[in-house]
Amino acid sequence: MAAPMELNCWGGDWGLPSLHPESLTVMAYAKFSGAPLTVNTINTSWRVPKGDIPVLVSEDIVISQPAKILNFLRKQKYNADYELSAKQGADTLAYIALLEEKLLPALLHTFWIEAENYCSVTKPWFASRIAFPLRWYLPGKMSREALNRILLTKGGPPLYSLTEVEAQIYRDAKECLNLLSKRLGTSQFFFGDTPTTLDAFVFGFLAPIYKVCFPRVQLQEHLKQLPNLCRFCDDILTCYFRLTVSGHSPAGQDTADANLQKLTQLVNKESNLIEKMDDNLRKSPQHPPRKLTTLKLAAGGEESSPLSRLSP
Amino acid sequence: TLCFQAFLQMCNLPIRVICRANAEYMSPSGKLPFIHVGNQVVSELGPIVQFVKAKGHSLSDGLDEVQKAEMKAYMELVNNMLLTAELYLQWCDDVTVEEITHPRYGSPYPWPLNRILSYQKQWEVRRKMKAIGWAGKTLEQVLEDVDQCCHALSQRLGTQPYFFNKQPTELDALVFGHLFTILTTQLITDELSEKVKNYSNLTAFCRRIEQQYFEGHDKDSSAIAARSAKRSLLR
Repeated sequence: MAAPMELNCWGGDWGLPSLHPESLTVMAYAKFSGAPLTVNTINTSWRVPKGDIPVLVSEDIVISQPAKILNFLRKQKYNADYELSAKQGADTLAYIALLEEKLLPALLHTFWIEAENYCSVTKPWFASRIAFPLRWYLPGKMSREALNRILLTKGGPPLYSLTEVEAQIYRDAKECLNLLSKRLGTSQFFFGDTPTTLDAFVFGFLAPIYKVCFPRVQLQEHLKQLPNLCRFCDDILTCYFRLTVSGHSPAGQDTADANLQKLTQLVNKESNLIEKMDDNLRKSPQHPPRKLTTLKLAAGGEESSPLSRLSP
Repeated sequence: TLCFQAFLQMCNLPIRVICRANAEYMSPSGKLPFIHVGNQVVSELGPIVQFVKAKGHSLSDGLDEVQKAEMKAYMELVNNMLLTAELYLQWCDDVTVEEITHPRYGSPYPWPLNRILSYQKQWEVRRKMKAIGWAGKTLEQVLEDVDQCCHALSQRLGTQPYFFNKQPTELDALVFGHLFTILTTQLITDELSEKVKNYSNLTAFCRRIEQQYFEGHDKDSSAIAARSAKRSLLR
């Protein structure tokens, strides 16, 4: 239907399709809305594109932030929010703002600023997926950007030291998790039985906290005390991502499916051609005089050619 | 500033508004406004709400847990979108900066201090915009975001008098503060206030709160409110 779309994003581990919250949000939304995305995870053979990841490429269009990517998918008629009322759409925007203000700083801190986590998990993982020599530079840059963001938005009087800022952002994050848990209650998704944009965003932010094994895990421990949020993440992983431990099966499954589709199309084309030829042959007796004269003149050459055309 | 006044009025607590040039330095957190009660000084909406709650006044007691979660979420939306858009318009839109913001911000101070302080503030705000990814946005994109936010607020409000039915809450105070400021402050272009005016239930909401909580008092307080509305744009 639409032009083929490719998503370039960070890969996954620990049972997740991606470690990066924004990449995970876009992947989840694509699964929920049925958008056919080819996912390219960044690895050492890539030149890491400048600018924000994830990046969606569709023919000549390049889009980079999750909100813009989701808008683009909706315009291509891949809309997971079709059945939402206007008020629920408004609630979606509000909750996404809550996630970005309250949960994202703590998430960034856990991944990029907490020294033990950064040195033992985040930096080696990202460095192993970036080509030399950028691998010595890019993780550090991402860490500095995360710190900058936190200090500029949350730091400032009366919080004067990084430890005070850290305490505040973790308090905010835990409160945000509690609010999300209360809002989810016992339903399967945030707006009933079908997943929507809000579910994609919440999953994108929660799943890395839930699954990645860090040495310092205060946020993960808090999350594990909220069983409905854990169940929410696990459900999405099993229903929409169907990952084994290695994390390779969906890609393999996709290529197998694509090959099968191509084969079916080829076979269909062949049988169409054969049918057309049959039709032509059947139509040809309508002009008997011409055929007879040609037969006489060609002395069997004409006769043999239809036969030769039939054979593959 | 208006959010706080509205909030305190809604709690039926009497207040006096004073404008001071060094207000930012008097505040414990450097942020305006702040309240001075007896010998305590509290600034910013969150702590003020808690302070007031500790003294026994609260607007959101009647809400259940899910509604409280929704209220917090909408407050973040307003902070995230409207506040950032206001800051962007004041400090990152070159025309507005030159003609309105620099003169206003530096007005209490003599030259060259006024220019230095306003450039410093501008640099700070631009750094923050860059960190959250708003630096690359054009004015049209910012206005679109404001429109989306107003649309969401309008949908949530619907035909009810307040956001959570019959009783006003902190969310109502916050939304009133921002929207009233946008609607009544003179800028180079009216695009921002036009965006808000597109939503008739939001303008009706502002008018209703203004009538109920501000015009009930003397003309003095509404004049002070208008002056402090202008002052809040300097933040």
